[in-house]
Amino acid sequence: MHELSIAVNILDIVASTCREQGYSTVRAVRIKVGNAAGIMTDALAFSFDCAKSGTVAEGAALDIDEVPVGGACSDCGSDFTVDEPYVFNCPGCGGTAFRISSGHELEIVELEVD
Amino acid sequence: MKVRLVKKILEANDRIAENNRKRLADAGVYTMNLMSAPGAGKTTLLQRTIKALDGRIRFGVIEGDIQGTHDAEVISALNVPVIQINTEGACHLDANMISDILPEMPLNAIDILVIENVGNLVCPAEFDVGEEIKVMLLSITEGEDKPLKYPLMFQKSEVLILNKIDLAPYLDVDMEKIKSDAMALNPGLQIFEISCKSGQGLDAWFAWLEDKVKVSA
Repeated sequence: MHELSIAVNILDIVASTCREQGYSTVRAVRIKVGNAAGIMTDALAFSFDCAKSGTVAEGAALDIDEVPVGGACSDCGSDFTVDEPYVFNCPGCGGTAFRISSGHELEIVELEVD
Repeated sequence: MKVRLVKKILEANDRIAENNRKRLADAGVYTMNLMSAPGAGKTTLLQRTIKALDGRIRFGVIEGDIQGTHDAEVISALNVPVIQINTEGACHLDANMISDILPEMPLNAIDILVIENVGNLVCPAEFDVGEEIKVMLLSITEGEDKPLKYPLMFQKSEVLILNKIDLAPYLDVDMEKIKSDAMALNPGLQIFEISCKSGQGLDAWFAWLEDKVKVSA
């Protein structure tokens, strides 16, 4: 349900960027969403489409890059990614001396504008 | 034309939350974001806690609900300052809602501000409201699958309170699995096992909270 708030935040950032930089049309917004960020990407895409009308991003597509949860293990030295939104044990050695390095992203990375 | 733009989507919320945190810290108020699914017992726990620590810690409460004033009335009966926020559909509180109503809270007359979030195991975990600590409540009737189904809240909370443990004999729930999965998600998690009905385990929670508030003052 909070995907609508996220969509509105995206549109606010896009609108202020366009105002500051003088862009009149937004064709696409590319965002990065980590698998552990607690976001349903389908709901976010739907919310974005609902909220964009009447804004500078009215005709914009939302491109979502999903980022898996990943980490680095200091026991076995492996870098890994997993399918789940969490990690209990290093998939390489089964140890717990790992650091999570990705999967919590929630950011705008690129705009396609005119 | 493509424009690179690395911007956190919740940056605006995080900025306001940081500002709230500073206002609260400057006023010497310890702030707790209390989260759980609907019906886990947040308001009842708060009632018991306020009564038990009456005269030792001064409470202020912000009640977040989609609609209605039931929770605020319950807390108000305990003679503590309470403000009800109705989100009118939104599933969580955000930093801006707190910022708007903070001037109405008598910050110099309270030691702790408890922000009781909207009942929901998903969205509140995502939004910083300016709290010093996130505390989550899980009633054991919700089942042992919850840590793995809603990992974010278990990861972001510093404290997990398991409520309704008086019902354990009547349930098939695997308490050990709740605890071990929660600890695996968040090794630093502090766990309390309580029953707001029987009072079991509450003294340890009261003592811990009183200590936290006094240390931060």
